[in-house]
Amino acid sequence: MSRFSLIALAFLCSVAALNAVEISKSLVRIEATSQEPNYKTPWSPGDVSSGVGAGFVVDGKRIMTNAHVVSNARFLTVSKEGDPNPYLAKVLHIAHDCDLALLSVETPAFFKGTTPLEFGGIPEIESVVSAYGYPVGGTRLSVTRGIVSRIDFQPYSHSGMDSHLAIQIDAAINPGNSGGPVMQNGKVVGVAFQGYSGDVAQNVGYMIPTPVIQRFLKDVQDGQYDHYVDLALTYRNLFNPASRRALGLEDETTGVQVCSVYSGGAADGNLKPGDVILKIDGHTVSSDGTIPLENEAVPLDEVVERKFKGDKVELEILRKGKPMSVTVQLKEPWPFKLQSNLYDEKPRFVVAGGLVFQPVDQNFMDVHDPSDQRLNYIFDYFIADQLHTDRPEIVVLSTILPDPVNAYAEEFRFSVVVEVNGHRIKRIEDIATAFDEQTDCYVIKFAGGGRPLVLERKAIEEARPRIRERYDVTAEKNLKK
Amino acid sequence: MKSIHLQRAVWLALILLLAIQSAPAEDDTSTSASASKSLLRVNSTNQVYEFFQPWIKKPPFSRRGIGALIHGGRILVTAELVANSTFIELEKPATAEKSTATVERVDYDCNLAVLRPADPAFLTGMQPLALNGPLKVGDEATILQLEPNGDIAQTLGRITSISVAGYPSESGALLLFKLGATLQQRDGSFTLPAVRDGRLIGMVMRYDARNQSADIVPTAVIRHFLAELDSPSYRGFARLGVAFAPLRDPQLRRYIGLKEPGGIYVTDITPRGSADAAGIKKGDVILAVDGLPLDQDGNYEDPDYGRILFSHLTNTIKHPGAVLPLKILRDGKTLELPVTMQVANRDHAISETHLSDEAPKYVILGGLVFIELSRPYLKEWGSKWASTAPQRLVYYDAFQNELPADRGRIIILSQVLPTPDTIGYEGLENIVVTKVNGQQIKSLADLSKAAKKPVDGFHKIEFEEDPKLLFLDAASIQSNTDELKKHYLLPALEHL
Repeated sequence: MSRFSLIALAFLCSVAALNAVEISKSLVRIEATSQEPNYKTPWSPGDVSSGVGAGFVVDGKRIMTNAHVVSNARFLTVSKEGDPNPYLAKVLHIAHDCDLALLSVETPAFFKGTTPLEFGGIPEIESVVSAYGYPVGGTRLSVTRGIVSRIDFQPYSHSGMDSHLAIQIDAAINPGNSGGPVMQNGKVVGVAFQGYSGDVAQNVGYMIPTPVIQRFLKDVQDGQYDHYVDLALTYRNLFNPASRRALGLEDETTGVQVCSVYSGGAADGNLKPGDVILKIDGHTVSSDGTIPLENEAVPLDEVVERKFKGDKVELEILRKGKPMSVTVQLKEPWPFKLQSNLYDEKPRFVVAGGLVFQPVDQNFMDVHDPSDQRLNYIFDYFIADQLHTDRPEIVVLSTILPDPVNAYAEEFRFSVVVEVNGHRIKRIEDIATAFDEQTDCYVIKFAGGGRPLVLERKAIEEARPRIRERYDVTAEKNLKK
Repeated sequence: MKSIHLQRAVWLALILLLAIQSAPAEDDTSTSASASKSLLRVNSTNQVYEFFQPWIKKPPFSRRGIGALIHGGRILVTAELVANSTFIELEKPATAEKSTATVERVDYDCNLAVLRPADPAFLTGMQPLALNGPLKVGDEATILQLEPNGDIAQTLGRITSISVAGYPSESGALLLFKLGATLQQRDGSFTLPAVRDGRLIGMVMRYDARNQSADIVPTAVIRHFLAELDSPSYRGFARLGVAFAPLRDPQLRRYIGLKEPGGIYVTDITPRGSADAAGIKKGDVILAVDGLPLDQDGNYEDPDYGRILFSHLTNTIKHPGAVLPLKILRDGKTLELPVTMQVANRDHAISETHLSDEAPKYVILGGLVFIELSRPYLKEWGSKWASTAPQRLVYYDAFQNELPADRGRIIILSQVLPTPDTIGYEGLENIVVTKVNGQQIKSLADLSKAAKKPVDGFHKIEFEEDPKLLFLDAASIQSNTDELKKHYLLPALEHL
């Protein structure tokens, strides 16, 4: 008996001993040169910057890292421990909504001597993990150790709009750790991806857990990455006795109240405000919106998190006191993307008469930071107030390149364009079409019904070459992402 | 002989010089002497309602200013000095003799108030200040303050601008002087009289220390206020009720077929305002008001102040009820529309821009606190309220003219006082109510009425945003009423 346990221990030791060598062999240092488009001068290619991140070799001669390490990348090189040569790499798949990416290396020889790392499960709270990467403080491999502090849904800061399961660890995670594996018992249990700066919270780092990683790997099996899917609704607890009775819940029954159902989303037409969700795919929903899953109480959203575009969700609901079954086919949660940070996209714009028109998205708002109350409301409540049903895009006059043709346009900066020559403007393409029209003058109307902005075509044509030259406008429009 | 003559001439010249020099000095002492008989310290203790908990008042604080005695035994101060006052005290500068006072009339639109001492005999021996005529940019004026011993401290300044500008109540713009002067903080507020040649030229209401510039309510506005005060019923300042854009852009002028110079473009009409009643529409071009042509920025030639915004004429020179012809360009044709000037009717306002002296309205239902949206409510978010307060509410307040004219007041669930009836509703705040028990809610009175008719034993409350709807048990909240009042020390469950 005692002999058996000894052997087991010895075996464990050997695995651990093997780790140090094996892991470092699979570890990759990524140098990325990226070019971030400039939303203030959308025709310019943008500033070039470079950064360092970590990655690791996975099955299929691929390297896994964070999406934010290789976003907007123009030139990527990878190098491995013990081989100082940089190898050219390319982004194979990138998922901005869960901050993961897969790279390929052009020279197959790069993978010689590397071992693909395997994935583990969700580590237990308080168990020890090690984070590998190339954080600030030196150029060589760094290993930090810590324990699992918390397992919960967290906002993923890369996109700014998505929340998924994330694991909080107290191992130091710093810039350069991004994309590196977090290991336990020789297996990857997470990918380090974000943390707090020291003045907000101490020793709080987050890693992407394996359910999210596995979902990403499964999603790209067909050769392309689809977005996460969503029910596109909001729900709220049903603790209140009056609300419970009014909505027809029996004493012992639990469920949540559907609040908003976003038009154009997956649940649109299937669910209504005031419905009570009793079960999701057979899991009983408790009154705080959690379901029991793998011995943990997790938000009911986790059922949807694990599904893919086109998959179905079975809901048992109570509508006006009557039980019903509803099947929802999942799809990408448009138009939520408007409020996420966007990467690997070119800014879209139209320049006419020195006026720059742009569709509004999070990137635009971050750069321009308009203090326009109307625009702020339309952007903030674009989804909640279903403003997108009226116009799929918010098009604004964003910048004025001063010229006699637009000498009196300053007051319209950041105003939302409603109409040009009577044509409703619902997306940036509509602006391009409107200005292609051969008329004497263009009458632009803005939200709020102030005075129109009138530009005479003759004046625009005259101003065109001088504006192009003076402001180095290399292109007058781009409509492609 | 010659030399004697010369000497005499020198003497003469010297005497003349002396006379010239002593003239302003004499004038100065007379200003000081006469003004000291016209000034009173005004100590006002004010208490503002807490808009987040509208049933309580914030701790009292006091403001001190200087009032000017004017004809008719009235003491003129700014409205801000006595806003939400609970106790007002007058004090003679030299003797520190005191008397309580009451507000005869306060008008926040023009930021003016007149006070009267409880005992009229208190003013015996004092001399009212006369009102000065119009001033011009570059004219000198003196701001009067009081030293602790009652002496007058004078600060000479120069008028740097005369324009129609926004007043603190944010209800509109009136004539405003700016006086460049280096004022010291002496009296706890900048409610101070400004004089020239011993006559009142206006009341200082604000002082910008960085730019060393005092904002002064000029006599033109004071005269209008006093004339209204002496009329059979006080009406205040009429408003045309339009927003406009200048018509400087030649491309726009050609587009709308505007051939004559000047004119302004109407961009917005206040529902039920003077212009609305007269049939003026968005997109009209106002060419002239009362026969006076407007330039492309909306200025007319005023006999007193030169080129100045037309609203000085419509709001201050004219009184409510006056009929002014407006020359309009509409669809390429000119027409003349008579406009009867009216005071803005705030009954139909969607969000009040200013509230003072009255307790905010509220209704508490089972622990849910409902209030009306108003700018003072938004200002509870602090100086950066426009960006820190809930953006939907800021938007409704800022663009209320664009909401349907029959929108009514915006009723908000402002907070939840936790009770057994509101379990699960904790944290709900600042969401706009649409219906209660199936009834549209356009006022707190609507809400109070609808809350008397529960449906199937429940109050159903619907909102514009999440959670969209919630319920209260009508019988349960009824029986918990006393408990709720006792628990949170509520004087009443509604104030309408």
